[in-house]
This record gives sequence, C-alpha cells and structure tokens, in this order.
Amino acid sequence: MISATHDIDIMDAHIGVFNYRNLFRADRVLMGLALALVIVGVLTLYSASRSAYSEIPYYVKQLVFFGVGAVLAALIVSFDYRFLISFAPFFYVLCLVLLILVEFFGITVKGGQRWLGVGPLTFQPSELTKLALVYMLAWYFHIIQHRIRSLPFFLLAFVIAGIPIVFILRQPNLGTAALLVPVLFVMLYVAGCKRWHLAAVILAGLAAIPVAWTQLEDYQKERVRTFGNPAADARGKGWQTVQTMITVGSGGMWGKGFREGTQTHLSFLPEHHTDFIFALLAEEMGFQGAVVVLALFGGLLWRGIVLARGSPELQGTLVGVGAVTILAFHVFVNIAITIGLMPVTGIPLPFLSYGGTFYVTTMMCVGAMLSVNVRRGLFSETDGA
Amino acid sequence: MLDHPEKQRYPEFPKRVRLLGIALFVALCILAGRLWQLQVIQGEHYNRQAESNRLRPQVLEAPRGMIYGRDSSIVLADNRAATDLMFIQAEADDPEAVAGRLAELVTFDAEAFLEQVHEYRRQPYTQIPIKRDISRTALTRVEEHSYALPGVFTVVRPQRRYLYGSTGGQLLGYLGEIGPEELREMRPTYKMGDRIGRGGIEQYYESRLHGTDGQLLMNVYASGVPQVRTDAYGRPYIETDSFGRRLRQETQYLPESGESVHLTLDIELQAFAERLLEGERGAIVVLNAETGEVLAMASQPTYDPSVFVKHGENEARRDALSDTDEPMKNRGYQDTYPPGSIFKIAMAAAALEEGVVSRQTEHFCPGHFQINNRGRRWHCWRRSGHGHVAMDEALAHSCDVYFYNIGLELGVDRIHEWMGRFSLGQSTGIDLPREHTGLIPSREWKRETRQPHYPNEPWEWNWYDGDTVNLSIGQGAAASTPLQAAVMTAAFLNGGRRVYPFINQEFGPARVSEPFMSPETVEAVWEGMFKCVEKDDFPTGTGIRAQVDGLAVGGKTGTSQNVALHHLEQYGDDVEDIPYEMRHHAWFVAGVPDEDPPIAVSVLVEHGHSGSRAASPLAREVIDYFYTYRAPSEALLVAKSEAEE
Repeated sequence: MISATHDIDIMDAHIGVFNYRNLFRADRVLMGLALALVIVGVLTLYSASRSAYSEIPYYVKQLVFFGVGAVLAALIVSFDYRFLISFAPFFYVLCLVLLILVEFFGITVKGGQRWLGVGPLTFQPSELTKLALVYMLAWYFHIIQHRIRSLPFFLLAFVIAGIPIVFILRQPNLGTAALLVPVLFVMLYVAGCKRWHLAAVILAGLAAIPVAWTQLEDYQKERVRTFGNPAADARGKGWQTVQTMITVGSGGMWGKGFREGTQTHLSFLPEHHTDFIFALLAEEMGFQGAVVVLALFGGLLWRGIVLARGSPELQGTLVGVGAVTILAFHVFVNIAITIGLMPVTGIPLPFLSYGGTFYVTTMMCVGAMLSVNVRRGLFSETDGA
Repeated sequence: MLDHPEKQRYPEFPKRVRLLGIALFVALCILAGRLWQLQVIQGEHYNRQAESNRLRPQVLEAPRGMIYGRDSSIVLADNRAATDLMFIQAEADDPEAVAGRLAELVTFDAEAFLEQVHEYRRQPYTQIPIKRDISRTALTRVEEHSYALPGVFTVVRPQRRYLYGSTGGQLLGYLGEIGPEELREMRPTYKMGDRIGRGGIEQYYESRLHGTDGQLLMNVYASGVPQVRTDAYGRPYIETDSFGRRLRQETQYLPESGESVHLTLDIELQAFAERLLEGERGAIVVLNAETGEVLAMASQPTYDPSVFVKHGENEARRDALSDTDEPMKNRGYQDTYPPGSIFKIAMAAAALEEGVVSRQTEHFCPGHFQINNRGRRWHCWRRSGHGHVAMDEALAHSCDVYFYNIGLELGVDRIHEWMGRFSLGQSTGIDLPREHTGLIPSREWKRETRQPHYPNEPWEWNWYDGDTVNLSIGQGAAASTPLQAAVMTAAFLNGGRRVYPFINQEFGPARVSEPFMSPETVEAVWEGMFKCVEKDDFPTGTGIRAQVDGLAVGGKTGTSQNVALHHLEQYGDDVEDIPYEMRHHAWFVAGVPDEDPPIAVSVLVEHGHSGSRAASPLAREVIDYFYTYRAPSEALLVAKSEAEE
C-alpha cells in the first residue's frame, strides 16, 4: 500500500500541486448535474423574485454568488486534494479563530449571531467550517490510518468535531451544528472505524435526547411542539407549517405554472425565496417538477459517492464522502421540513435557496467531490499506455 | 501494477460505501412518497385551501328599497349618495401639512385623524376617513384645493335618508347594526356589520327592502385589507390593499337594490296629527273605515330615525333610546290603555245583538249602582244621575249605570266573546312589528293569572259580578290600543264589519270580514254616537267639541281611570291641581260614515283627564283637516277625469 502511494507520487510529479488542466479531467456527469441544478435554482429564484422584492433581483445576485463559488470550486479542483488536506489543520484553526471572532464581534440577524463583516461583505464562518471540518477529519484519519479502530483515536475525532460544534451551538445555529454530526459519523464509518464503537456512540446520543431537550431554547421547543400539531395555532406559530403544506399540496400533479404560484406570490408563505423555496417549486411545477429536481439531487449525490469511491486514496474518498454528506443533509432536511416531515429549522436548499455564503459552500462541496477523482482518469490513460 | 483503489482499502470498505448509496436511495424514496401523498393524493384538498387563502369577497352594499307614501310621488325614505372624505398617506409626504390645509376648508377632528395616520403608518395605503358625509359646499371647496391636498380623495356610498324627519318616525323605523343573536339566525344572508331594519316598516319589510348585496372577488395578499374606492358614478372598485399592493379583481356581482314599499300612509295627515299632539303624550289613529287602510298613526313624543343612520349623532341616538317618554314607541299600536267609556259602543252592540236590551229599553240612573241593591256602590260619572235613559241617550251622555245594568245581564263570557269580534284583546293583524294586543279579561284569564299566587284562596281568583260591572265601562283589567279602538269604531261606519288594518298598499283589496252585526244594531249604536257629538240635541252629548260643520260626525268619549277615584278626592276639581301621573287618560273615537272615504278616528291623550275636553277637539281638527284638505283635490280629480272623457 505504501509502495503504491509512492508510485503514484512519482507518476504525479509532472502534474504538480496546482494544475488548471484538472478542470478538463473532472467528471462531466457530475458537472452536468450540478449545472442543471444551478439553472433550475436560478429559474426558481427568478420566479420567487416576482414577489420577493429586492433592489437588485435575487436571481441576479445569486448568479454573482454562483460565479464566486464556481471560481473557488475551480481552485479546489485545480489543487491536488492531498495538498489541500495537508493544509487542513491550518484551515481548521482559522475557522475556529473566525468562530471566536463571531462570538465577540458577530453581527446578529434574526436572533442568531452568525455573521462576520469584512468591509462591505458579510459571511458566516460556520458555513466555511463545514468543509474545513471535512478536510480536517480526512487529514486526521489519514494520519492515524488503521489506529482508528482503537477507542482513544476514535474518540479524538469527536473532540476535533466537537470544538467547532460547541462554538456554533453558542451562536445559536442548531442547523449547522446538527449537520456536522452526520458528517463526522459518515466519515468515521467510511474511514473504517469499529462498528460497535459507532453504534455505542449513537445509542448514547439517543439516550441523551431528554437531556438535550432541556438544553433547547424555548423557541426551539415551540417549533417541535408546533410540528406535532400545527393546526393548533394555524394563524400564529403553526402558520409556516400549515401554509407550507398548503403550498406544496396545492401544486398537485402538474403545478400552477411558472411564476403562477398563488400561495407564494400572495405572501401566504414567508421565506419562500430562502429556506422554503422548494415549496415554491412544488407549487408551480407540481409533483412532476419536484420529482425531477429530487432526481437531479439524487443523481448528483450518487455520482459524488461513485467518484469518492473511485478516489486513488482513502483520504480522497473521505473528502468526497464528507462533501456528499454536507449536501445530502441540506437536501434531505430542507425538503423534509418543507413537506412537513420535520420541525422547522433554518436549513437552506443547495442551488435553490437564496444566500451567498451557502451558495459558495455548495459550489466548494461540488469542487471537493470533483477534485478527489480528477487524477483517476490519468492513471487509466497511463495504464492503457 | 496498480490494484483498483478500492482493493487497497480495508475489507469492509465496498460494503460500507454501498450502504451509503442505499441510504441515499431510501431517503429519496421517502421524500418522493411524501410528495406523492401531499400533491397527488391530497392535492385537491390543499388546492381548495389555497383558493380560500387567495380569494376574498368584498361586499358591495345593496341600496335599500324605497318607502313611498300613499301617493307614489311622495318618497318617505330613499338612499342618497353620502360622500366621505378619505386620505391615503402613501400619496402624501407630509400628512400634518395636509391636515393643516384641510382644517381651513372643512371642520374635522384633526387630532383623531393624525392619530389614525400614525397608527397605520406601516400600512400606508390604508384609507383613513377624514370626515364622513361632507356637505356639497365643503366638497366643492376641497375639490378646488385638491392640488394642495395630496392623498385626499372621496368615496361615495348609499345612505338611508328619511325625507320627513321625525314625521312618522316610529312607523318607518330605522336601521341598526345586526346583533350577534340575529346574525346566528340570519346567516348567510347577513354578515357582521350589516345594517338591519329596527322597528316599523324597516323591520317588518326587512327581507323585501334589504336587497341583495353584491360582491367583488379579490386576489388578496396574506396581510393587508382591500381598499374600496368609488368611481365618478359611485360604483365601487378595488385596486390596491392597505400595503399598496395591486390586487386583481376576479369576478364582480353587482348589488341588487331592495324592492320598494308603497304605504297607505297620508304623510300630510300624519304630520298634522303629530302637530296636534305636540307637547302631549298620546296617539291619533286614522283608518279608512271601509278598507282598514292606515291613513295616519301619529304618536307623540316622536323621534327622527335619521339620527341612527348619520354619523356623529350619538347624542341624539342615546336620547331617543333612553328617554323615559319612550319616543321610539308608537303609542297607536304599541301601548295599551284602559278603554273606559269608548268601550260602551261595543257593549251596546253586544247587548242589542244578544237581545238583552232593545233600542227602547230604559234603565234608571240615580247616579249610583248596587248589585241587587246590596253591598258596594258604583257611581255614575255624573253623581246627580241621568234619570231614565234609553240606549241613544246612554251613549250620548255616557251613562255608566245603564251599562252596569246591561253588562250584568250580558255576563262576562258574552262580553269577552263580543269584544274579540271588535278586535279588542286580540291582534288587529297590522303589518308592523311588536303590536300590543291589549286585554279583555275573562273568567279563565282571572283564574290563570291569580290562582298561582293564591292557590288556596278561591275568592282571590273567582270571577265576581263586581268584576263584570267594572268591565262594563271598560275599566278593571281591560286594556286596548288606540288602533284597536279605531277598528272597533270602523265597524259602526261600514255596516258592521271588522277591518284588518294595514299600512302596505299591497294588502289591498282589503281583507274585511262579513258583517257580524245586524244593520239595526249598527243603526242604533250609530244614533247614540251621532247624538254624542250633535250640538242641536238637548241636553248636549259629551262629544260636542268634535262637531264639524257640514259633516255628519259621530263619536264617543272616554275618560279612563289610572288610579282609584278616591285618590283624587284630595286634589279638588281643577285638573291643574292633580299630579300629571294621576290624571285620567282621555279618549275619543269618532267616525264620518257618509263621506268618501269614511274614516274612523281614534284619539288618546295620556293623562288628558277628560275625553270630552282633551281628546274630542283633536278628533275634530283631524276630521276637518282630512275632508276640507282632501275635498278640493278630490274635486280636481273628478274634473280631470271628466275632462279626459
């Protein structure tokens, strides 16, 4: 195994740490699916902007975010992922520093202190932390190799993930914190940890739910209760849940037509250009449109797993799987909330929800998914030659 | 040289990655299944909810039907276009400056207005009323300065108007907001905030006058209230909501105005009768004796129903509702009084029909009366007595003793039955709300009302001859409305028929009963009534003040006691010395059978103390006014019809 790695190093010598030609070797299927989702996202936002007013229309701003994200994704693809992983501790510490800065200098929006301002720009360090943690864990599992099967090293992974989670919980930003847990679990699992270690941790976590419940803020408990019975206060706290179901359900099989959604455009559904944009899509495009978009997401994630599996090294696989988990979590949780399967939490939908930092994160995840596989084609050619 | 990368990993690696893929697939299937359930299976259900979210009806109030007088050129109640001055702050930069400029043009509550402006600052397209129902001159002034009044505009709406003010006020009724109880019964025809007829014609003919409200179906936003405007013709339309968002109009149903009602009411006679009663409490009822048409039913004090439909008349409204004189009650049919001596004409008819007396039968009046010459003494109103009297004299002079005698001979059962034929103690069937039926006591009535209180004391609830004696002259528990008195009188003018009074012309041709008295009986009673008024007779009757030159007027006075006579003894003979509340009620019923149309008049003056002095002159005025006022116009009609031929 070591010799194999060594061989690849030699074979890669002429490619270098940074090579824009990687872009041409990146997987076309995944890029195509991502591009399709980008187009769907911009069109949906274009529809939403009919009633969600902004001086510069949201879909135009979103295109700018796409541009920024695309450049960063291209950089990630151009870099050798092993080089990026070797810098992971640096990114990780940087993110922790930013999270601490948020703690003291953060900008509060809608009750959460999540934003940092740099000149005219604002961004959420918690967003960057998602991918930074993926790289950090990949770095760590690469360092410890098979020792992951021993309990202390297994547990150390929880410390690495736990520190940013605690900071993010303090903002409070329950959604992002909750995302980092499955990322850790999936990466531990794929990295080859002992199954009973993982099972024990999950069981302990389930047992701790009653304790966690007492730690929730009142408004968070309220959301869970409302989820249980939204009709109890249909014009107050249950409004969002009830109206979301009406919005999605009234779309029917074929939808009300592009930009013709009554629920969304007559303001019955708040936040329809951000966290609840899938409801707008489901209302205007109906079941058929919603399922097509679901299939696009499914295809993207499936292709991400395939690419990760085919990565030359386990560390590449781990980065790919981590990035897939981030996007999968957002897709499933966001849609589950929209169609009434989970209580309301602020989780945006990749490619569709309006929001700069998250769009950039999405694109970087796509970049990471692509990057772990770019060198594979190279070997095939070499093999063939 | 190179193995497949997967093979470089630990043995379980492919299995674990495959599990990830399976989890992904399962999660996707769950989401798709849920979408299928929401959108395809329950899609219709949610679609209906979305529709009801989206569409909101805006009611367009239907104008109420008109109310016409006897002559259809006379409008008693219509709807006029009231102009409200409104304000939209989104269209004005400086509401305070606008308010300042407005204050120079119209009087309005600037402080309350600016408070409203402040309250709705977050919904700047809300229409804020500046002043309701502004005058034409004020409107012109505002329009001339409209360039300096940004955001100020007008809205036109129909408003009920009672053209004769307080005249006939209780008969027309008024409009009030529908109450929660009524709303529960009347849904879905009525909605919260709807106005509904209260009292009089407005209430009785509510379903006909109300009309059908129209509707604008609007595509509305989740928050915000559609803002109705009116175009130059007063037609409502909606463009924006209170946040200024444009609304789309889906459909429009125009309101259908209510049907008109034509009354039998002679508004000029009504006004005249009300003037006669001014300063008193009482009623004057004038019926067409042939048909039962109500020509006038004046009641004082009265009120102006306009105060209930205009803005800013709270004071007047409160006064009308809380005045102890009850100006909103029509004393013509909504209050009862002991009939007293006017009862005697019906008693006389009953006695003749039952054969207990003939026209010639005489009774001796020594000024008092005892049953079987024993026990309690009942007095005649003339303590010195009338001597030997036959029926015509007994009626003309209102001899009580004569009627004590025939009353005893008739007995309470027959009296009760006969009074019912004259409508006394029964509903007259008039088409107005909340009629009082009055009361003619009977054996059953006395037992039913008193036995529960004295279960073991039969002397408290048995009927005695003494009760019959009281009833014979319309005292005791007897009570009737002036309208019932007029119906009773009409029977002697139309050949012994009972009329059913009505005020809506559509009731004609009138429902009149077959004669229930013989012509001889009618003739005999009428002779007594005629002698009561006739001046040339000697000694003169009690009703001579009702005599009108050139007309054959008959009548009967009534002076009904409120309190037992011995309470009044301490006050002496002068009416002015007796406390108002203790004075007798003054009655007079009169008829003019030979004219066209024959009319029956009933006058009641509360605490007028004397039917002869307080009530009969008013009847005279009414009869004189009616026939001399009407005569020329009738003559004109004849001339006109002859000219046409």
